[in-house]
Amino acid sequence: MEQLNNAFTLFLSLLVEAIPFLLLGVLLSGLLLFFVDERKLVKLAPKNPILGAFVGSCIGFLLPVCECGNVPVARRLIVQGVPLPVAVGFLLAAPVINPIVIWSTWIAFRDQPEILWLRIIFSLLIATIIGWVFSRQGDVKSLLQPAVALSMAKPLPVEDPEKPTLLRSGNFMLGGGESLEAKMAASLERKPQFSWSERGNMLLDNTMQELRELGGILVLGSALAALIQTFTPRELILGLGQGSVSSVLAMMLLAGLISICSTVDAFFALSFAGAFTSGSLLAFLVFGPMFDLKGIGLLLSVFKPKAIFYLFALAAQLVFLLTLFVNFNVN
Amino acid sequence: MLLISRLFKSLDKNWLDAIAVTSWGALLLNYWLNGSLSILIHPSYFWLAAFTGFALLIIGSIKAYLLFKYPQVKPSTAGHVSLLPGNWAIGLLLVTAIAGLLINPRVFTSSKAIQGGVTENSAITRSQPQSFRSQVKPEKRSLVDWVRTLSAYPEPDTYSGQQANVSGFVVNSAELGSKYLLLSRFVITCCAADVYPVSLTVKLPADQQYQADTWLAVTGQMVTETISGNRQLILVAKNIKPIETPRNPYEY
Repeated sequence: MEQLNNAFTLFLSLLVEAIPFLLLGVLLSGLLLFFVDERKLVKLAPKNPILGAFVGSCIGFLLPVCECGNVPVARRLIVQGVPLPVAVGFLLAAPVINPIVIWSTWIAFRDQPEILWLRIIFSLLIATIIGWVFSRQGDVKSLLQPAVALSMAKPLPVEDPEKPTLLRSGNFMLGGGESLEAKMAASLERKPQFSWSERGNMLLDNTMQELRELGGILVLGSALAALIQTFTPRELILGLGQGSVSSVLAMMLLAGLISICSTVDAFFALSFAGAFTSGSLLAFLVFGPMFDLKGIGLLLSVFKPKAIFYLFALAAQLVFLLTLFVNFNVN
Repeated sequence: MLLISRLFKSLDKNWLDAIAVTSWGALLLNYWLNGSLSILIHPSYFWLAAFTGFALLIIGSIKAYLLFKYPQVKPSTAGHVSLLPGNWAIGLLLVTAIAGLLINPRVFTSSKAIQGGVTENSAITRSQPQSFRSQVKPEKRSLVDWVRTLSAYPEPDTYSGQQANVSGFVVNSAELGSKYLLLSRFVITCCAADVYPVSLTVKLPADQQYQADTWLAVTGQMVTETISGNRQLILVAKNIKPIETPRNPYEY
Protein backbone atom coordinates (compact mmCIF):
# COMPACT_ATOMS: atom_id res chain seq x y z
CA MET A 1 0.00 0.00 0.00
CA GLU A 2 2.81 2.33 0.97
CA GLN A 3 4.57 1.60 -2.30
CA LEU A 4 1.36 2.17 -4.23
CA ASN A 5 1.12 5.60 -2.60
CA ASN A 6 4.71 6.35 -3.58
CA ALA A 7 3.99 5.25 -7.15
CA PHE A 8 0.85 7.42 -7.31
CA THR A 9 2.72 10.50 -6.08
CA LEU A 10 5.44 9.87 -8.64
CA PHE A 11 2.91 9.37 -11.43
CA LEU A 12 1.08 12.62 -10.60
CA SER A 13 4.30 14.57 -10.27
CA LEU A 14 5.42 13.53 -13.76
CA LEU A 15 2.05 14.58 -15.19
CA VAL A 16 1.85 17.89 -13.31
CA GLU A 17 5.36 18.81 -14.46
CA ALA A 18 4.85 17.65 -18.06
CA ILE A 19 1.36 18.87 -18.94
CA PRO A 20 2.30 22.58 -19.06
CA PHE A 21 4.94 21.77 -21.68
CA LEU A 22 2.56 19.59 -23.64
CA LEU A 23 0.04 22.44 -23.77
CA LEU A 24 2.70 24.98 -24.75
CA GLY A 25 4.02 22.69 -27.50
CA VAL A 26 0.56 22.08 -28.92
CA LEU A 27 -0.41 25.77 -28.81
CA LEU A 28 2.87 26.99 -30.32
CA SER A 29 2.86 24.51 -33.19
CA GLY A 30 -0.78 25.37 -33.95
CA LEU A 31 -0.08 29.12 -33.86
CA LEU A 32 3.09 29.01 -35.95
CA LEU A 33 1.28 27.20 -38.73
CA PHE A 34 -0.69 30.44 -39.16
CA PHE A 35 2.37 32.60 -39.47
CA VAL A 36 5.18 30.66 -41.13
CA ASP A 37 4.98 30.35 -44.89
CA GLU A 38 6.46 26.99 -45.77
CA ARG A 39 6.76 27.78 -49.46
CA LYS A 40 9.28 30.51 -48.64
CA LEU A 41 11.24 27.96 -46.62
CA VAL A 42 11.16 25.57 -49.57
CA LYS A 43 12.64 28.24 -51.85
CA LEU A 44 15.40 29.04 -49.37
CA ALA A 45 16.44 25.39 -48.83
CA PRO A 46 20.11 24.97 -49.80
CA LYS A 47 21.05 22.54 -52.58
CA ASN A 48 24.32 21.41 -50.96
CA PRO A 49 23.52 18.05 -49.30
CA ILE A 50 25.36 18.56 -46.00
CA LEU A 51 24.28 22.17 -45.58
CA GLY A 52 20.77 21.19 -46.67
CA ALA A 53 20.54 18.40 -44.11
CA PHE A 54 21.80 20.76 -41.40
CA VAL A 55 19.35 23.51 -42.35
CA GLY A 56 16.55 20.92 -42.49
CA SER A 57 17.47 19.82 -38.97
CA CYS A 58 17.17 23.38 -37.73
CA ILE A 59 13.80 24.10 -39.35
CA GLY A 60 12.20 22.65 -36.23
CA PHE A 61 12.71 26.06 -34.67
CA LEU A 62 10.38 27.64 -37.23
CA LEU A 63 7.93 24.76 -37.52
CA PRO A 64 7.95 23.27 -34.04
CA VAL A 65 6.38 19.86 -34.20
CA CYS A 66 6.99 16.84 -32.04
CA GLU A 67 7.43 13.41 -33.57
CA CYS A 68 3.70 13.00 -34.03
CA GLY A 69 3.48 15.95 -36.41
CA ASN A 70 6.77 15.90 -38.24
CA VAL A 71 6.03 13.10 -40.73
CA PRO A 72 3.12 14.87 -42.47
CA VAL A 73 5.18 18.09 -42.60
CA ALA A 74 8.22 16.25 -44.01
CA ARG A 75 6.00 14.63 -46.63
CA ARG A 76 4.60 18.01 -47.60
CA LEU A 77 8.13 19.44 -47.86
CA ILE A 78 9.21 16.59 -50.17
CA VAL A 79 6.13 17.01 -52.36
CA GLN A 80 6.78 20.72 -52.58
CA GLY A 81 10.22 19.98 -54.01
CA VAL A 82 12.57 20.33 -51.06
CA PRO A 83 15.82 18.36 -51.59
CA LEU A 84 15.71 14.98 -49.81
CA PRO A 85 18.56 15.73 -47.32
CA VAL A 86 16.61 18.75 -46.06
CA ALA A 87 13.48 16.65 -45.51
CA VAL A 88 15.39 13.80 -43.84
CA GLY A 89 17.23 16.26 -41.57
CA PHE A 90 13.90 17.78 -40.62
CA LEU A 91 12.29 14.39 -40.04
CA LEU A 92 14.98 13.27 -37.61
CA ALA A 93 15.92 16.44 -35.74
CA ALA A 94 12.79 18.66 -35.73
CA PRO A 95 11.25 16.94 -32.69
CA VAL A 96 14.30 17.95 -30.62
CA ILE A 97 15.40 21.25 -32.19
CA ASN A 98 12.36 23.08 -31.00
CA PRO A 99 12.10 25.79 -28.32
CA ILE A 100 9.65 23.97 -26.03
CA VAL A 101 11.64 20.72 -26.10
CA ILE A 102 14.86 22.59 -25.34
CA TRP A 103 13.19 24.44 -22.46
CA SER A 104 11.69 21.30 -20.91
CA THR A 105 15.00 19.42 -21.22
CA TRP A 106 16.81 22.30 -19.56
CA ILE A 107 14.32 22.34 -16.68
CA ALA A 108 14.53 18.59 -16.20
CA PHE A 109 18.34 18.45 -16.30
CA ARG A 110 19.37 21.73 -14.68
CA ASP A 111 21.94 19.82 -12.64
CA GLN A 112 23.45 18.21 -15.72
CA PRO A 113 23.40 20.87 -18.45
CA GLU A 114 25.63 18.66 -20.61
CA ILE A 115 22.60 16.43 -21.22
CA LEU A 116 20.80 19.33 -22.95
CA TRP A 117 23.83 20.38 -25.04
CA LEU A 118 24.68 16.85 -26.07
CA ARG A 119 21.03 16.12 -26.90
CA ILE A 120 21.01 19.07 -29.32
CA ILE A 121 24.46 18.36 -30.76
CA PHE A 122 23.87 14.61 -31.25
CA SER A 123 20.44 15.16 -32.82
CA LEU A 124 21.84 17.70 -35.28
CA LEU A 125 24.91 15.58 -36.03
CA ILE A 126 22.97 12.35 -36.63
CA ALA A 127 20.27 14.06 -38.71
CA THR A 128 22.90 15.80 -40.84
CA ILE A 129 24.93 12.61 -41.38
CA ILE A 130 21.86 10.57 -42.36
CA GLY A 131 20.57 13.38 -44.60
CA TRP A 132 23.94 13.43 -46.34
CA VAL A 133 23.99 9.61 -46.68
CA PHE A 134 20.54 9.72 -48.29
CA SER A 135 21.73 12.41 -50.71
CA ARG A 136 24.26 9.90 -52.13
CA GLN A 137 21.42 7.92 -53.65
CA GLY A 138 21.32 9.11 -57.25
CA ASP A 139 17.74 8.22 -57.99
CA VAL A 140 15.75 9.70 -55.12
CA LYS A 141 12.51 8.20 -56.40
CA SER A 142 13.71 4.67 -55.63
CA LEU A 143 13.50 5.56 -51.94
CA LEU A 144 10.06 7.13 -52.06
CA GLN A 145 6.58 5.70 -52.34
CA PRO A 146 5.31 5.85 -55.93
CA ALA A 147 2.56 8.38 -55.06
CA VAL A 148 5.08 10.79 -53.53
CA ALA A 149 7.60 10.28 -56.34
CA LEU A 150 4.87 10.90 -58.91
CA SER A 151 3.69 14.10 -57.33
CA MET A 152 7.29 15.36 -57.25
CA ALA A 153 7.55 14.96 -61.00
CA LYS A 154 4.41 16.93 -61.75
CA PRO A 155 4.19 20.66 -61.40
CA LEU A 156 2.70 21.41 -58.03
CA PRO A 157 -0.89 22.48 -57.77
CA VAL A 158 -1.04 26.12 -56.82
CA GLU A 159 -2.30 26.61 -53.31
CA ASP A 160 -4.25 29.68 -52.48
CA PRO A 161 -1.67 32.01 -50.94
CA GLU A 162 -4.42 33.52 -48.79
CA LYS A 163 -5.36 30.17 -47.37
CA PRO A 164 -4.06 29.76 -43.81
CA THR A 165 -1.21 27.26 -43.59
CA LEU A 166 -3.19 25.29 -41.03
CA LEU A 167 -5.62 24.33 -43.76
CA ARG A 168 -3.15 23.30 -46.39
CA SER A 169 -2.88 19.69 -47.19
CA GLY A 170 -0.73 17.41 -45.10
CA ASN A 171 -0.60 19.17 -41.76
CA PHE A 172 -1.83 17.91 -38.38
CA MET A 173 -5.45 18.48 -39.13
CA LEU A 174 -5.71 17.38 -42.70
CA GLY A 175 -2.63 15.19 -43.01
CA GLY A 176 -2.30 11.54 -42.24
CA GLY A 177 -5.15 9.34 -43.28
CA GLU A 178 -6.29 10.39 -46.72
CA SER A 179 -4.37 9.60 -49.87
CA LEU A 180 -1.97 12.07 -51.35
CA GLU A 181 -4.05 12.37 -54.50
CA ALA A 182 -7.15 13.19 -52.49
CA LYS A 183 -5.26 15.91 -50.70
CA MET A 184 -3.96 17.31 -53.96
CA ALA A 185 -7.50 17.46 -55.26
CA ALA A 186 -8.61 19.09 -52.03
CA SER A 187 -5.87 21.66 -52.25
CA LEU A 188 -6.92 22.64 -55.77
CA GLU A 189 -10.37 23.35 -54.54
CA ARG A 190 -10.70 27.02 -53.78
CA LYS A 191 -12.01 27.66 -50.35
CA PRO A 192 -13.39 30.91 -49.01
CA GLN A 193 -11.05 32.92 -46.85
CA PHE A 194 -11.37 32.17 -43.17
CA SER A 195 -12.19 34.77 -40.59
CA TRP A 196 -10.28 35.12 -37.34
CA SER A 197 -13.08 33.45 -35.39
CA GLU A 198 -12.97 30.47 -37.75
CA ARG A 199 -9.21 30.28 -37.38
CA GLY A 200 -9.67 30.42 -33.62
CA ASN A 201 -12.13 27.55 -33.84
CA MET A 202 -9.72 25.49 -35.89
CA LEU A 203 -6.91 26.19 -33.46
CA LEU A 204 -9.19 25.14 -30.59
CA ASP A 205 -10.17 21.88 -32.29
CA ASN A 206 -6.57 21.15 -33.15
CA THR A 207 -5.48 21.85 -29.56
CA MET A 208 -8.18 19.57 -28.13
CA GLN A 209 -7.26 16.72 -30.49
CA GLU A 210 -3.55 16.98 -29.83
CA LEU A 211 -4.06 17.25 -26.06
CA ARG A 212 -6.26 14.18 -26.10
CA GLU A 213 -3.94 11.99 -28.14
CA LEU A 214 -0.62 13.12 -26.68
CA GLY A 215 -2.06 13.41 -23.17
CA GLY A 216 -3.32 9.82 -23.29
CA ILE A 217 0.14 8.57 -24.24
CA LEU A 218 1.70 10.76 -21.55
CA VAL A 219 -0.57 9.18 -18.91
CA LEU A 220 0.50 5.69 -20.01
CA GLY A 221 4.20 6.65 -20.13
CA SER A 222 4.08 8.26 -16.68
CA ALA A 223 2.32 5.24 -15.20
CA LEU A 224 4.97 2.95 -16.65
CA ALA A 225 7.83 5.13 -15.34
CA ALA A 226 6.25 5.26 -11.86
CA LEU A 227 5.71 1.49 -11.77
CA ILE A 228 9.24 0.70 -12.96
CA GLN A 229 10.77 3.12 -10.48
CA THR A 230 8.73 1.90 -7.53
CA PHE A 231 8.41 -1.84 -8.04
CA THR A 232 11.54 -2.95 -9.88
CA PRO A 233 14.15 -4.29 -7.44
CA ARG A 234 16.97 -1.81 -6.93
CA GLU A 235 19.62 -4.41 -7.75
CA LEU A 236 18.06 -5.10 -11.15
CA ILE A 237 17.78 -1.40 -12.06
CA LEU A 238 21.35 -0.67 -10.96
CA GLY A 239 22.68 -3.81 -12.64
CA LEU A 240 21.14 -2.75 -15.93
CA GLY A 241 21.58 0.99 -15.52
CA GLN A 242 25.20 1.12 -14.45
CA GLY A 243 26.60 -1.01 -17.28
CA SER A 244 27.93 1.26 -20.05
CA VAL A 245 26.57 -0.90 -22.86
CA SER A 246 23.55 -2.52 -21.19
CA SER A 247 22.18 0.84 -20.00
CA VAL A 248 22.35 2.35 -23.51
CA LEU A 249 20.69 -0.69 -25.09
CA ALA A 250 17.95 -0.78 -22.42
CA MET A 251 17.14 2.90 -22.83
CA MET A 252 17.13 2.68 -26.65
CA LEU A 253 14.71 -0.24 -26.43
CA LEU A 254 12.53 1.72 -24.02
CA ALA A 255 12.66 4.74 -26.35
CA GLY A 256 11.45 2.59 -29.24
CA LEU A 257 8.62 1.05 -27.28
CA ILE A 258 7.39 4.20 -25.57
CA SER A 259 5.85 6.80 -27.81
CA ILE A 260 6.10 9.59 -25.27
CA CYS A 261 6.06 13.05 -26.89
CA SER A 262 9.44 14.76 -27.20
CA THR A 263 8.22 17.92 -25.44
CA VAL A 264 7.91 15.92 -22.21
CA ASP A 265 10.22 12.92 -22.62
CA ALA A 266 12.94 14.69 -20.61
CA PHE A 267 10.84 14.26 -17.46
CA PHE A 268 10.42 10.58 -18.20
CA ALA A 269 14.19 10.22 -18.62
CA LEU A 270 14.73 12.21 -15.44
CA SER A 271 12.98 9.55 -13.39
CA PHE A 272 15.80 7.18 -14.40
CA ALA A 273 18.58 9.72 -13.78
CA GLY A 274 19.67 8.32 -10.41
CA ALA A 275 20.20 4.78 -11.60
CA PHE A 276 21.15 5.02 -15.30
CA THR A 277 24.32 6.30 -16.96
CA SER A 278 24.26 9.76 -18.60
CA GLY A 279 24.99 8.16 -21.97
CA SER A 280 21.90 5.98 -21.72
CA LEU A 281 19.68 8.95 -20.79
CA LEU A 282 21.04 10.72 -23.87
CA ALA A 283 20.35 7.63 -25.98
CA PHE A 284 16.73 7.79 -24.84
CA LEU A 285 16.48 11.53 -25.49
CA VAL A 286 18.07 11.40 -28.96
CA PHE A 287 16.74 8.09 -30.31
CA GLY A 288 13.21 8.38 -28.87
CA PRO A 289 12.14 11.36 -30.99
CA MET A 290 13.71 9.82 -34.12
CA PHE A 291 12.18 6.38 -33.83
CA ASP A 292 8.66 5.58 -32.83
CA LEU A 293 6.78 2.37 -33.46
CA LYS A 294 3.62 4.34 -34.10
CA GLY A 295 5.42 6.61 -36.58
CA ILE A 296 6.34 3.77 -38.94
CA GLY A 297 2.83 3.60 -40.37
CA LEU A 298 3.00 7.29 -41.15
CA LEU A 299 6.50 7.02 -42.61
CA LEU A 300 5.33 4.30 -44.97
CA SER A 301 3.22 6.96 -46.65
CA VAL A 302 6.46 8.72 -47.67
CA PHE A 303 9.29 6.18 -47.94
CA LYS A 304 9.59 2.63 -49.18
CA PRO A 305 10.16 0.06 -46.40
CA LYS A 306 13.80 -0.41 -47.45
CA ALA A 307 14.51 3.31 -46.99
CA ILE A 308 12.84 3.33 -43.57
CA PHE A 309 14.96 0.37 -42.51
CA TYR A 310 18.17 2.17 -43.56
CA LEU A 311 17.02 5.36 -41.87
CA PHE A 312 16.48 3.71 -38.49
CA ALA A 313 19.39 1.27 -38.71
CA LEU A 314 21.73 4.21 -39.30
CA ALA A 315 20.11 6.30 -36.59
CA ALA A 316 20.28 3.45 -34.05
CA GLN A 317 23.95 2.75 -34.77
CA LEU A 318 24.98 6.39 -34.58
CA VAL A 319 23.06 6.95 -31.33
CA PHE A 320 24.59 3.81 -29.85
CA LEU A 321 28.16 4.76 -30.78
CA LEU A 322 27.91 8.41 -29.72
CA THR A 323 26.28 7.71 -26.37
CA LEU A 324 28.67 4.86 -25.67
CA PHE A 325 31.48 7.36 -26.28
CA VAL A 326 29.87 9.60 -23.64
CA ASN A 327 29.71 6.73 -21.16
CA PHE A 328 33.34 5.82 -21.64
CA ASN A 329 34.87 9.27 -21.91
CA VAL A 330 32.73 11.96 -20.39
CA ASN A 331 31.63 10.47 -17.08
CA MET B 1 -17.34 -0.64 -14.92
CA LEU B 2 -20.23 -1.45 -17.23
CA LEU B 3 -21.99 1.73 -16.16
CA ILE B 4 -18.90 3.83 -16.88
CA SER B 5 -18.39 2.26 -20.30
CA ARG B 6 -22.08 2.88 -21.16
CA LEU B 7 -21.79 6.48 -20.01
CA PHE B 8 -18.69 6.86 -22.21
CA LYS B 9 -20.52 5.49 -25.23
CA SER B 10 -23.59 7.64 -24.68
CA LEU B 11 -21.60 10.86 -24.29
CA ASP B 12 -20.42 12.66 -27.38
CA LYS B 13 -16.65 12.42 -27.87
CA ASN B 14 -16.38 16.20 -28.09
CA TRP B 15 -18.09 16.63 -24.75
CA LEU B 16 -15.70 14.09 -23.21
CA ASP B 17 -12.79 16.16 -24.56
CA ALA B 18 -14.17 19.31 -22.99
CA ILE B 19 -14.85 17.60 -19.65
CA ALA B 20 -11.38 15.98 -19.51
CA VAL B 21 -9.51 19.20 -20.33
CA THR B 22 -11.58 21.18 -17.81
CA SER B 23 -11.00 18.51 -15.15
CA TRP B 24 -7.27 18.72 -15.66
CA GLY B 25 -7.47 22.50 -15.28
CA ALA B 26 -9.44 22.01 -12.05
CA LEU B 27 -6.95 19.42 -10.80
CA LEU B 28 -3.91 21.65 -11.34
CA LEU B 29 -5.61 24.64 -9.71
CA ASN B 30 -6.78 22.46 -6.83
CA TYR B 31 -3.21 21.24 -6.17
CA TRP B 32 -1.94 24.80 -6.41
CA LEU B 33 -4.51 26.13 -3.94
CA ASN B 34 -4.38 23.28 -1.40
CA GLY B 35 -0.58 23.15 -1.29
CA SER B 36 -0.20 19.65 -2.77
CA LEU B 37 2.02 21.05 -5.54
CA SER B 38 4.87 21.22 -3.01
CA ILE B 39 4.77 17.42 -2.75
CA LEU B 40 4.86 17.01 -6.53
CA ILE B 41 7.19 19.61 -8.05
CA HIS B 42 9.93 22.13 -7.25
CA PRO B 43 8.51 25.52 -6.13
CA SER B 44 10.16 27.26 -9.14
CA TYR B 45 7.54 25.65 -11.38
CA PHE B 46 4.40 26.29 -9.32
CA TRP B 47 3.54 29.20 -11.61
CA LEU B 48 3.72 26.96 -14.69
CA ALA B 49 1.27 24.49 -13.18
CA ALA B 50 -1.08 27.28 -12.02
CA PHE B 51 -0.92 29.03 -15.41
CA THR B 52 -1.65 25.74 -17.18
CA GLY B 53 -4.53 25.08 -14.78
CA PHE B 54 -6.12 28.40 -15.74
CA ALA B 55 -5.40 27.86 -19.45
CA LEU B 56 -6.93 24.35 -19.50
CA LEU B 57 -9.95 25.54 -17.56
CA ILE B 58 -10.49 28.35 -20.09
CA ILE B 59 -9.90 26.12 -23.15
CA GLY B 60 -12.23 23.40 -21.82
CA SER B 61 -14.92 25.94 -20.90
CA ILE B 62 -14.80 27.64 -24.31
CA LYS B 63 -15.10 24.24 -25.97
CA ALA B 64 -18.06 23.30 -23.77
CA TYR B 65 -19.73 26.67 -24.46
CA LEU B 66 -19.33 26.23 -28.23
CA LEU B 67 -20.67 22.67 -28.09
CA PHE B 68 -23.64 23.89 -26.10
CA LYS B 69 -24.32 26.87 -28.36
CA TYR B 70 -23.66 25.20 -31.72
CA PRO B 71 -24.38 21.50 -31.11
CA GLN B 72 -24.68 20.79 -34.83
CA VAL B 73 -21.15 21.97 -35.74
CA LYS B 74 -18.70 19.07 -35.58
CA PRO B 75 -14.95 19.74 -35.54
CA SER B 76 -12.95 18.55 -38.51
CA THR B 77 -11.19 15.32 -37.63
CA ALA B 78 -10.39 14.28 -41.17
CA GLY B 79 -7.19 12.35 -41.40
CA HIS B 80 -6.25 12.91 -37.78
CA VAL B 81 -4.09 10.04 -36.68
CA SER B 82 -5.31 8.33 -33.54
CA LEU B 83 -2.62 6.67 -31.50
CA LEU B 84 -4.87 4.90 -29.03
CA PRO B 85 -8.01 2.97 -29.95
CA GLY B 86 -11.47 4.52 -29.57
CA ASN B 87 -11.99 6.67 -26.53
CA TRP B 88 -8.99 5.26 -24.70
CA ALA B 89 -6.92 8.42 -24.74
CA ILE B 90 -9.68 10.61 -23.39
CA GLY B 91 -10.71 7.90 -20.92
CA LEU B 92 -7.17 7.74 -19.50
CA LEU B 93 -7.00 11.51 -19.11
CA LEU B 94 -10.41 11.72 -17.49
CA VAL B 95 -9.90 8.81 -15.07
CA THR B 96 -6.50 10.19 -14.02
CA ALA B 97 -7.92 13.67 -13.41
CA ILE B 98 -10.78 12.25 -11.31
CA ALA B 99 -8.40 9.97 -9.35
CA GLY B 100 -6.16 12.99 -8.73
CA LEU B 101 -9.10 15.05 -7.49
CA LEU B 102 -10.27 12.27 -5.14
CA ILE B 103 -6.90 11.09 -3.80
CA ASN B 104 -4.42 13.66 -2.54
CA PRO B 105 -0.77 12.84 -3.23
CA ARG B 106 1.16 11.82 -0.11
CA VAL B 107 4.69 12.52 0.99
CA PHE B 108 7.18 9.79 0.03
CA THR B 109 7.94 7.29 2.77
CA SER B 110 11.09 5.63 4.10
CA SER B 111 10.65 2.65 1.76
CA LYS B 112 11.26 5.07 -1.13
CA ALA B 113 14.39 6.34 0.64
CA ILE B 114 15.68 2.76 1.05
CA GLN B 115 14.88 2.05 -2.61
CA GLY B 116 16.88 5.20 -3.41
CA GLY B 117 19.90 3.77 -1.58
CA VAL B 118 19.86 5.95 1.54
CA THR B 119 21.32 3.17 3.68
CA GLU B 120 24.23 2.62 1.31
CA ASN B 121 25.62 6.09 0.78
CA SER B 122 24.06 8.47 3.20
CA ALA B 123 26.53 11.30 2.69
CA ILE B 124 26.40 11.79 -1.06
CA THR B 125 24.58 14.55 -2.89
CA ARG B 126 24.09 14.19 -6.59
CA SER B 127 24.70 17.80 -7.58
CA GLN B 128 28.18 19.21 -7.32
CA PRO B 129 28.29 21.77 -4.48
CA GLN B 130 28.40 25.20 -6.13
CA SER B 131 29.66 26.96 -3.04
CA PHE B 132 30.99 25.86 0.27
CA ARG B 133 29.11 27.68 2.98
CA SER B 134 31.62 27.50 5.80
CA GLN B 135 30.35 30.84 7.04
CA VAL B 136 27.06 29.29 8.12
CA LYS B 137 27.04 28.55 11.83
CA PRO B 138 26.94 24.77 12.38
CA GLU B 139 23.68 24.91 14.34
CA LYS B 140 22.03 26.83 11.48
CA ARG B 141 22.87 24.17 8.88
CA SER B 142 19.95 22.16 7.55
CA LEU B 143 20.30 18.41 7.07
CA VAL B 144 21.15 18.89 3.39
CA ASP B 145 23.69 21.63 4.26
CA TRP B 146 25.42 19.12 6.53
CA VAL B 147 25.47 16.42 3.87
CA ARG B 148 26.79 18.86 1.24
CA THR B 149 29.45 20.16 3.60
CA LEU B 150 30.50 16.60 4.31
CA SER B 151 30.61 15.81 0.58
CA ALA B 152 32.98 18.72 0.01
CA TYR B 153 35.22 18.08 3.05
CA PRO B 154 34.66 14.49 4.20
CA GLU B 155 37.09 14.38 7.15
CA PRO B 156 34.75 13.81 10.13
CA ASP B 157 37.16 15.19 12.75
CA THR B 158 36.73 18.68 11.17
CA TYR B 159 33.22 18.80 12.59
CA SER B 160 33.64 16.93 15.88
CA GLY B 161 32.19 18.89 18.76
CA GLN B 162 30.03 21.16 16.57
CA GLN B 163 26.40 21.68 17.49
CA ALA B 164 23.67 20.58 15.10
CA ASN B 165 19.98 21.32 14.85
CA VAL B 166 18.27 19.42 12.03
CA SER B 167 14.93 17.91 11.08
CA GLY B 168 13.89 15.02 8.86
CA PHE B 169 12.08 11.70 8.82
CA VAL B 170 13.21 8.41 10.34
CA VAL B 171 14.68 5.57 8.31
CA ASN B 172 15.65 2.56 10.41
CA SER B 173 18.58 0.50 9.22
CA ALA B 174 19.19 -3.11 10.21
CA GLU B 175 22.93 -2.63 9.71
CA LEU B 176 23.13 0.23 12.20
CA GLY B 177 21.03 -1.49 14.85
CA SER B 178 18.52 -0.04 17.25
CA LYS B 179 20.87 2.52 18.86
CA TYR B 180 20.99 4.55 15.68
CA LEU B 181 18.62 5.87 13.03
CA LEU B 182 19.07 7.67 9.73
CA LEU B 183 17.47 11.12 9.84
CA SER B 184 16.61 11.68 6.18
CA ARG B 185 15.33 14.20 3.70
CA PHE B 186 14.56 14.04 0.01
CA VAL B 187 16.26 16.56 -2.29
CA ILE B 188 14.20 17.71 -5.29
CA THR B 189 15.55 19.29 -8.48
CA CYS B 190 12.55 19.35 -10.79
CA CYS B 191 9.71 17.06 -9.77
CA ALA B 192 9.08 14.14 -7.41
CA ALA B 193 10.34 11.78 -10.11
CA ASP B 194 13.91 12.91 -9.51
CA VAL B 195 14.01 13.11 -5.71
CA TYR B 196 16.88 11.39 -4.00
CA PRO B 197 17.41 10.81 -0.29
CA VAL B 198 20.19 12.18 1.92
CA SER B 199 20.64 11.39 5.58
CA LEU B 200 22.66 11.85 8.76
CA THR B 201 23.27 9.04 11.21
CA VAL B 202 21.79 9.91 14.59
CA LYS B 203 22.77 8.15 17.83
CA LEU B 204 19.73 7.88 20.06
CA PRO B 205 19.70 8.42 23.82
CA ALA B 206 19.34 5.14 25.72
CA ASP B 207 15.88 3.51 25.60
CA GLN B 208 14.53 5.71 22.84
CA GLN B 209 13.24 4.33 19.57
CA TYR B 210 11.24 5.86 16.77
CA GLN B 211 9.00 4.39 14.11
CA ALA B 212 10.09 4.72 10.50
CA ASP B 213 8.61 7.82 8.77
CA THR B 214 8.20 9.78 12.02
CA TRP B 215 9.30 13.37 11.51
CA LEU B 216 11.77 14.56 14.15
CA ALA B 217 13.62 17.75 15.10
CA VAL B 218 16.95 16.70 16.59
CA THR B 219 19.53 18.80 18.42
CA GLY B 220 22.84 17.45 19.56
CA GLN B 221 26.57 17.32 18.97
CA MET B 222 28.61 15.95 16.10
CA VAL B 223 31.02 13.15 17.04
CA THR B 224 33.33 10.89 15.04
CA GLU B 225 32.57 7.18 15.53
CA THR B 226 33.50 3.96 13.83
CA ILE B 227 30.49 1.88 12.86
CA SER B 228 31.00 -1.49 11.09
CA GLY B 229 34.58 -0.50 10.29
CA ASN B 230 33.62 2.91 8.78
CA ARG B 231 34.88 6.06 10.45
CA GLN B 232 32.06 8.52 10.10
CA LEU B 233 30.41 11.61 11.51
CA ILE B 234 27.34 10.98 13.60
CA LEU B 235 24.97 13.24 15.47
CA VAL B 236 24.65 12.33 19.14
CA ALA B 237 21.15 13.46 19.98
CA LYS B 238 20.53 15.43 23.16
CA ASN B 239 17.00 16.47 22.47
CA ILE B 240 14.55 14.81 20.09
CA LYS B 241 11.12 16.28 19.41
CA PRO B 242 8.54 14.68 17.08
CA ILE B 243 7.18 17.28 14.64
CA GLU B 244 4.36 17.49 12.08
CA THR B 245 5.15 16.51 8.50
CA PRO B 246 6.19 19.84 6.91
CA ARG B 247 3.93 21.25 4.17
CA ASN B 248 6.95 21.27 1.94
CA PRO B 249 8.83 18.07 2.76
CA TYR B 250 11.76 18.53 0.35
CA GLU B 251 15.04 20.39 0.50
CA TYR B 252 16.90 21.82 -2.47
